[in-house]
Amino acid sequence: MPRRWPAARRRKRAIMGSISRRGFLAAGLCGCTLCWGGAALGKTASTVSPRSGPDAGLGAGPDALPPLIGPGYQPVDADERGLWQLCERLEEELSTSSLLMQMPGLRQYTQEVVERLLGAQSKDLRIYLLHDPAFNAAMFPNGMMLLNSGFFARVRNEAQFAAVVGHEAGHYARKHSVSGWRDRKSKTGFMAFVSAGTAVVAGASAAAGGNPYGWVDLANSINSMLVLSIFSFSRGHESEADLYGLRLLADAGYTPEAAAQVWRQMIDERKASAAERGKRYRDPARSSFSTHPPSDDRMKALGAAAEAVRAIAKEAGFSDEQDRWQAAVAPYQAMLLEEQVKVNDPGASLYLIQSLAQDGWSGLLRYFEGEIYRLRDLPGDADLAATAYGAAVQFEDAPPEAWRAHGYARLKAGQGEDGRRALARYLSLRPDAKDAGMIRFSLAQ
Amino acid sequence: MNCVKLVLMMMAALVVAGCTSTKQMADVGFVPPQGEYRLLVMRPDVSVGLLTAGGAVEPREDWTDQARGHLLAALAQQQASRGGMVKVAATREEAGDPARVAELERLHKAVGASIALHKYLGQSLPTKKDRFDWTLGQQAVEFGQASGYDYALFLHAEDSFASSGRVALQAVSFLGCMVGVCIMPTGGQQAAYSSLVDLKTGQVVWFNVLSSTTGDIRTPEGAQTLVRNLLGKMKPGEETRSAETLAGGKKA
Repeated sequence: MPRRWPAARRRKRAIMGSISRRGFLAAGLCGCTLCWGGAALGKTASTVSPRSGPDAGLGAGPDALPPLIGPGYQPVDADERGLWQLCERLEEELSTSSLLMQMPGLRQYTQEVVERLLGAQSKDLRIYLLHDPAFNAAMFPNGMMLLNSGFFARVRNEAQFAAVVGHEAGHYARKHSVSGWRDRKSKTGFMAFVSAGTAVVAGASAAAGGNPYGWVDLANSINSMLVLSIFSFSRGHESEADLYGLRLLADAGYTPEAAAQVWRQMIDERKASAAERGKRYRDPARSSFSTHPPSDDRMKALGAAAEAVRAIAKEAGFSDEQDRWQAAVAPYQAMLLEEQVKVNDPGASLYLIQSLAQDGWSGLLRYFEGEIYRLRDLPGDADLAATAYGAAVQFEDAPPEAWRAHGYARLKAGQGEDGRRALARYLSLRPDAKDAGMIRFSLAQ
Repeated sequence: MNCVKLVLMMMAALVVAGCTSTKQMADVGFVPPQGEYRLLVMRPDVSVGLLTAGGAVEPREDWTDQARGHLLAALAQQQASRGGMVKVAATREEAGDPARVAELERLHKAVGASIALHKYLGQSLPTKKDRFDWTLGQQAVEFGQASGYDYALFLHAEDSFASSGRVALQAVSFLGCMVGVCIMPTGGQQAAYSSLVDLKTGQVVWFNVLSSTTGDIRTPEGAQTLVRNLLGKMKPGEETRSAETLAGGKKA
């Protein structure tokens, strides 16, 4: 029997259903994200069936994935044009968003890397840098790419940066948004017919005195398979974009192992975060309902592909361009780390600081290490923080705030003379600081 | 014979089931703009798509562009007949400083969604229960001072049309109804809402929501119908309040 809704309620559902549907479309249709957190995955990438996935599975070499669109591409088909228009509308909002990172230097650097990586196709991409501490990046079918500040905070060298940009560019060049949409459209359409047909058959069977439930079970199993195959198709896209990105990476002379390193770091960070919270690490992507393959499998597949690339291009000199990366990001590192520390995920933040410190400690890293302990505030953390601040001010590059933090820590420890000296140092470095008046008052006590 | 009758009735129901409903709400002291007023119609937010068999809406660029053009024309025609000084903005640039207009549009989107959720969808807020006092705040007032307009009118409209696959699905489902398992998929839907903002106070003084299973805003006539149904008769605050009270049937 049909479900009856009161007329008013039906009307409300109709109105809001269609209004909110567009929001869903804009969010789900438009973007392909890197999705570290995502709704996760099931089958391992290497077992994604080429039948259910896009043309090439992981078994095919990187050269099996030509770009499907050339420079200056414009959509022709009605569905693709509709998608682009939707995304252009999003881009219009995004391009005037207050979340954009207003940092011409970093944008210029990003553009240079993208040009090195993509050549002529880089002109079709428009890159937006967003203040968002989550480790993510996203590609839209019309050439809009989003890169989060949390991504800049974690990457260790230019090759890793290029690996992720290359993955996203793969979604664009292989037209994943539109093919994913067409896949969903045909499968959900088929599912609707299976359901409707079953209603007819089951009704007729019941009318004839038979048992309709067999038909219903059959329909459910068909539709469940179709649902799973939609997710599996999406995972196929991710694997394909991984490979595509790897090829771009190697062609541009970047260390091909960088792609797998990004995943190694990501998994380690997640484990550190889980351990800190007393939880067991669990990859959210390890589910049949994930749009992305499991992180571990992606890492292994990328590692294996990198080996293959090395084997082919023995004589080619690859570089991870770490110096270039560090020079480009250094002016922004304080901002990037501050955003991360404020997320209040001490396990992940400490992991990040410690892995960045593998290239050498700095006053900035020590200061933020102290901040993580101070904000975590477990028993003993005050001492750990004080030690970190003390270490920070030993460095030439210690930020002024490190002197302030060190000063207060010394005051609390009863080292008044030391503390006042450090606070005075902060004031001399930041005479116009917002809290300058309060600190002068403390010093006068 | 009975069965044939039933079939005919249900087919008729499919054809004539189309209905249009609107529900206005307004600030209690609201009086529709009259006399010498300056009204700015903000760029309408329009999207039109194809309803796929699976029930998703696939956006269509050509339809959306057609609908936007016809809606702009219908709005201009309707508002011109009302006496005030009216400007219909087709782009953000036409409405004023684009950055400021963008901010205002986004703010309105958030407030409009709240009105829809808390006044129309049943999730009523205790503090907003018997009043209509939504505002875009100081930002709207500043925009009014800078631009010289008294009112800003916002319009959001969506329309969708069943694909041939969806129609076929409805036909199959109709067979199901014949044998007693009746789950009829919906067809295309029109949905729109509009709000009038007083730029002297920043208040949303009037709001209307429209839902329809008929009409086609891709045509000049369809766009005119939507504009007429949605904005044709702005009721003063007292009237909409009493209408709301009657419809709700809860208040004394």
